[in-house]
Amino acid sequence: MTTPPVAPPPVAPGPPAYAELCVTTNFSFLAGASHPEELVSRAAELRLGAIAITDRNSLAGVVRAYAALQELRRAAPEPGGNGTLPGTPRLPRLIVGCRLVLRDSPVDWLALPCDRAAYQRLSRLLTLGKRRAEKGECHLDLRDLLDGCAGTILIALPQHPATAAPHIRQLRQRFPGYVFLGAAPRYDGSDQAHLAACARLAQTTCAPMVAVGDVLMHRAGRRQLADVLTCMREHITIDQIGTRALPNAERRLKGAEDMARLFRRYPAAIRRTLEIAARCSFCLSELSYEYPDEITDTEAPQMRLERLCHAGLARRCPDGIPERYHALARKELALVGELGFAAYFLTVHDIVQYARSVGILCQGRGSAANSILCWALGITDVSPDQISMVFERFLSKYRGEPPDIDVDFEHERREEVIQHIYEKYGRHRAGLCATVIHFRTRAAIREVGKVMGLSQDVTASLSAQIWGHSGAGADPDRIRELGLDPADRRLAQTIRLIGELIGFPRHLSQHVGGFVITRGRLDELCPIANAAMADRTVIEWDKDDIDTLGILKVDILGLGMLSCIRKAFDLMAQHEGQQPTLASIPQEDRATYDMLCIADAVGVFQVESRAQMNFLPRMRPRTFYDLVIEVAIVRPGPIQGGMVQPYVKRRQGREAVSFPSQALQQVLGKTLGVPLFQEQAMQIAVVAAGFTAEEADRLRRSLSTFRRMGTISRFRDQFIAGMLGNGYTPEFASRCFSQIEGFADYGFPESHAAAFAMLTYVSSWLKCHHPAIFACALLNSQPMGFYAPAQIVRDAREHGVEVRPVCVNHSTWDNSLERRADGALALQLGFRQIKGFRQDDAARIVAARGNGYRDPESLWLRAGLAPAALERLAEADAFSDTGLTRRAALWQVRAIRAPAPLPLFADPLDGESIAEPAVTLPAMHLGEEVVEDYVAMRLSLRAHPMELLRPSVGGLTPHAELANTAARRCTVCGLVITRQRPGTASGVIFLTLEDETGVCNVVVWPKVYAQFRRAVMGGRLLRVTGYLQREGIVVHLIAQQIEDISHRLTDLGHPLEEAVGVTRPQADDAPRPPRHAPRAQHPREQAKRLFPSRDFH
Amino acid sequence: MWFPRLASDRVLRARPTEAPFALTLRLSNVERIYCLNARAARLGLHRGMPCADARAFCPDLLSHPADPQADARFLATLRRWATRYCPWVGLEEPAGLVLDVTGSAHLWGGETEMLADMRARLARAGLSLRLGLADTRGAAWALAHHAEGIAAPGDLLTPLGPLPVAALRLDDESCIALQRMGLRRVADLAAAPRAPLARRFGPGVLLRLDQALGDQPEQITPLADPPHFAVRLTLPEPIGLAADVMAGTARLLDQLCAKLKAQEAGARVLCLTLRRVDQGSGQVELRLAGAMRDPARILPLFERGVAAADAGFGIDQMRLEAVRVEALPVQQIGHRGPAQRNGLDDLITRIGTRIGLQNVRRFLPADSHIPERGFLVAPAAYSAPEGPWVCPRPRPLRLFAPEPIVASGPQPPEQFRWRRMRLHTARATGPERIAPEWWLQDENWGAGLRDYWQIETRQGRRLWLFHTPQNPGWFVQGEFA
Repeated sequence: MTTPPVAPPPVAPGPPAYAELCVTTNFSFLAGASHPEELVSRAAELRLGAIAITDRNSLAGVVRAYAALQELRRAAPEPGGNGTLPGTPRLPRLIVGCRLVLRDSPVDWLALPCDRAAYQRLSRLLTLGKRRAEKGECHLDLRDLLDGCAGTILIALPQHPATAAPHIRQLRQRFPGYVFLGAAPRYDGSDQAHLAACARLAQTTCAPMVAVGDVLMHRAGRRQLADVLTCMREHITIDQIGTRALPNAERRLKGAEDMARLFRRYPAAIRRTLEIAARCSFCLSELSYEYPDEITDTEAPQMRLERLCHAGLARRCPDGIPERYHALARKELALVGELGFAAYFLTVHDIVQYARSVGILCQGRGSAANSILCWALGITDVSPDQISMVFERFLSKYRGEPPDIDVDFEHERREEVIQHIYEKYGRHRAGLCATVIHFRTRAAIREVGKVMGLSQDVTASLSAQIWGHSGAGADPDRIRELGLDPADRRLAQTIRLIGELIGFPRHLSQHVGGFVITRGRLDELCPIANAAMADRTVIEWDKDDIDTLGILKVDILGLGMLSCIRKAFDLMAQHEGQQPTLASIPQEDRATYDMLCIADAVGVFQVESRAQMNFLPRMRPRTFYDLVIEVAIVRPGPIQGGMVQPYVKRRQGREAVSFPSQALQQVLGKTLGVPLFQEQAMQIAVVAAGFTAEEADRLRRSLSTFRRMGTISRFRDQFIAGMLGNGYTPEFASRCFSQIEGFADYGFPESHAAAFAMLTYVSSWLKCHHPAIFACALLNSQPMGFYAPAQIVRDAREHGVEVRPVCVNHSTWDNSLERRADGALALQLGFRQIKGFRQDDAARIVAARGNGYRDPESLWLRAGLAPAALERLAEADAFSDTGLTRRAALWQVRAIRAPAPLPLFADPLDGESIAEPAVTLPAMHLGEEVVEDYVAMRLSLRAHPMELLRPSVGGLTPHAELANTAARRCTVCGLVITRQRPGTASGVIFLTLEDETGVCNVVVWPKVYAQFRRAVMGGRLLRVTGYLQREGIVVHLIAQQIEDISHRLTDLGHPLEEAVGVTRPQADDAPRPPRHAPRAQHPREQAKRLFPSRDFH
Repeated sequence: MWFPRLASDRVLRARPTEAPFALTLRLSNVERIYCLNARAARLGLHRGMPCADARAFCPDLLSHPADPQADARFLATLRRWATRYCPWVGLEEPAGLVLDVTGSAHLWGGETEMLADMRARLARAGLSLRLGLADTRGAAWALAHHAEGIAAPGDLLTPLGPLPVAALRLDDESCIALQRMGLRRVADLAAAPRAPLARRFGPGVLLRLDQALGDQPEQITPLADPPHFAVRLTLPEPIGLAADVMAGTARLLDQLCAKLKAQEAGARVLCLTLRRVDQGSGQVELRLAGAMRDPARILPLFERGVAAADAGFGIDQMRLEAVRVEALPVQQIGHRGPAQRNGLDDLITRIGTRIGLQNVRRFLPADSHIPERGFLVAPAAYSAPEGPWVCPRPRPLRLFAPEPIVASGPQPPEQFRWRRMRLHTARATGPERIAPEWWLQDENWGAGLRDYWQIETRQGRRLWLFHTPQNPGWFVQGEFA
């Protein structure tokens, strides 16, 4: 143990100085009322010597404070001006610490590590406490503190002064010179007595007294929010808060003068804060990150990387490596070597290798596709021929940021990769990043509304009407429109508090897949906690924090399409005898592009959405790069920037391709002069607005991460001025900036679009050439993508694939393929399509199948299926192969009540079984069969419901004829497959209707929506009248009248009730307790369950 | 009798509205619609729908939290009202009544007329109603819920046959299962062979069928009337002396208390009616501080009222009624009985008979940092004393409205004049800073936060002063003992 420094630092003469050592930020969830950034900024204003961030059993907020301090340092003008004394630290020092709340001690301890070793011990201590407890908790005892707090300054905050002495004495004996007693003024009328008592306690325990502020907020104005947070914690309303409220706002951050006045009798307590601050020399920048070294095998990482890179290039280019590739690789290797990231590449390579070895498909995404290294190592599959690789986008000397390699894995098998990483590196060395869940607008309105006692109606309308999409704040006019009084005190307070609460962290969750792997112990870098999911451990910092500290992470992401492609590859190996890989799919296949040009893209990755399907015929992709643009252009960034129309015009040759300047031709040449990719936007800032590379990067960061610091407007002015200075029009300049703003969150970089386009191409190639295999793989990977099984099956049948119904004698759990007599493949639906059927039941059916089953009872006897599972099978009409109709099978199944057969009756002899009178059940007609199919499987192979309804709903145009019809106005009817309200379309709603002939795109303008709100939102079967709008082969129906005729669906299933004129038996029923598995409902509800749609709400 | 919108009708009777209206109930963490008015139903809302969806459908929906207990009470009230039609009225939870009108229909001119009367009266009361009348309880239920109307006596299968099987009061699961089999109507079910049905759907389905068709009996259980606490004494000769009246009261009280004891109840308000020979009457009302049924304790409390009563030419009838009754369970007698509590109750009652029970008050602790709101004053008879007072900060014994004094600066003055006294500060402790409760608007605290000081004066008084830093001024607000 180190001994404390003997000589105290010289006492600075002049104005009093003070370091605040006890600050609770809002990362002590629902307790602290200020962001770490705000506290640090305020501490700088108050000229504090240092500020310690001490959250309750957590280090989650310290990196934010650290980053804010760096931001301040960057923004601060050169030292020397402003009349400060030379040598006076202008900004407070940041002390990393935490407030340890123990289970068995009436004393809270502020733990402030003095050096890196002490920090590591503290981090391990917190890890210990957190791993012991459930998510969000930390269980620590005094014993743990005695074991693991060497080198850390401990300041006792007695919660009950009477019982504190023995605990303090115990720790002081263990860590002499490191234990202090914190005294916080309380402003409750007994401060002097309280401080005197503290001083006495300090004397008896030999723990010197030190002044602390016990800070909860950065300014007095946050007291209200602090009270609201207390209410949220205690689940009460503000009127019930009583003495749990803060009596005053004195727990704010205070300056040195204030503290000196409060502690005027104990000046040493103030002086000691600075001494302690001086002793805590640890800074987060000391945390040096080291890469794991498993991957090197005694070889130097750089050497190994070079070797692997050359081997990879040789493998990629069997016909000899072009010199261009060599040059690129040399350049990249040199830069990687200079920055020392070789081990990182090797780590990712190792993970990818593992995935390959167990047959998990994976592909890098994001900026990694800009690197030939990643291509050579097999991390990405986009070759340098396909896009122009700009390595600087991926890794730059100037950015000072670590590279970020994200790898997609099959979503169903990602967990295997994750567990492999835990296994290989150990839980003490690998952990997932956290994601800070913030209060979003809706949650903030709900929570504050509840605390302030607003009725639910008011909260609901507040969130729906006032904030809307913008999140900018409430507009008094809108409030008045709602019939509320904006001058009302309560309401005004509530609205202000909601605004303050938005953006507050609420809890930590796990990042989707960001892994941090270290060479040493990860728990010495940051506390590790248990995640809510079993077998996952999470560190306390999120991805921005990790970026700030230069810690590398690998994103292990899940992608459904990769699962689907892998399954398709497996099926191809099984049925076609081919062994394709992502790289071996034939490139630039004409038929595939032809298919995409007519928007035949159901199930294809990324371009299957409605907006993309509309765009495909206009774009008419012919090469891979067209797909890259296709993927990138239908995104909020380019749409917000108004870049889509100009691009389409230029592409179709309706507008000449021109460039605002020669310089921009370099940047925008490939995209016909229209900026579409994220990096193009940044390059415009550099090329056209005269930003330096570093400034451009800060612009990007100020837009995403540091929005709270409020530096955007400064950049905007600089950007516009720069562009005007270079001779661009103001209109073009502001358009560019708004696009940059949009890109910050919703834009794709070119390399990422290329990586995705790769999968788009592969999936459309599969769909084009192997429709049965593709449909089967897609169904087996559900849920994923945009369409439900019903649409996938329909699409497959339209492409000439025979689809066979589920059958107890032929199906397996997964959908499978069978060779037909004519050589084509037929799709055999599997048990997984049956709603509520379990996989192990399917396995038992297959295992005991033998020569097939005769009747339901034989399944019960041989496969041991429970009656409930048998019922599911009967409902899905899986017994038709045994000669039973659905109803007859159900009748038989109902008779089986026992979960397992009794031994005596297991093998009934003739004549000993129960003889039953024959029952004639009414036969099902087609409509009933279709509805029952939908009930059991959400799809039907018999008929489309619209086909049956069409005769009874007159005056309709089938969807397939819309493209050819001469009529301008027409009426269509169909099931709603999707409803969308894109944020970029200013309230316009897009509906996709399906009938037996095809789909129809309906556009609902806000006015029409307001009129037919209920039908649009709730209807499943809609009749829409409107006029047609054609654009190429894309036809839209602009809705004028919308009618919800979902109730007609019941005509199919319940004809008898309709006949006797009894309608809606349940709708008027009296209130009843909640039913388990409510099944009989309003027809519309039933329609909702049978014919579900993908909705925006 | 079935009230399809009982809950919402109940609320809307008090606050009529034309707008779509729904009652919401929180079930397993989702706010759902519990009951709604016809307008809301026409707009496509329905029961069990999540409120969020309902608002999306219908943004101007008015909503109100449901109160199933109040609905049950309302139904009980309706049950009592329905005894006007026949004596045997039972509840059909949750929103129906079942009436055995055998032998009473002719009083209204026949069954049709009786139903018309019910409809007219309940429509006037703002309740939606559906009626069914049949030979059996099950058939009447089926008609009320699914068809409405009167089934002719005798053959029940004719009116019930075309109704869906749900009309048989079956659970949802059985209904769905039967429909799946194609057995949709009651007639289908009645025609099917019984043994296979029972094997597949259990005996419950057949029982309900038989009950509806009258093959199995089913009773109507009317509810018992609540007990009535009043006793009467008719005198052969009029009396006039207070002592005589008291003796009569004692006899009445014995009877009444025996009745109360049988029901484990105690009286809170008693009313003694003295009818005079001239047909006039005087009333003596006694409000008690607690529930009581001990004649020996109650009787003396009547003395004052009886003495003041006007006997006129004599009193020939006395009636004693317990107007308000509270539950008072029988208690185990221990060595530390509730004697002290009773004594206090008696005292409060005794004082209350003189100055009014409302005027006897007690202090209760309240949860607030603000001194003025740190306590409550509540009528003693209608509140229970709370446990020990927890006071984290010293508070003066007497608190009065702030009285300004002349002083300045944030530190307490050395000397000041208060209530024409010149006082010198000997010791000052403080400050205790209290900021106003921001969520309330309090005129007294308009000046912002206050710094409270405890001042010990050399003259011996210990005062509670405060300073308002934002609007400088000094005030005295209390005095310590």
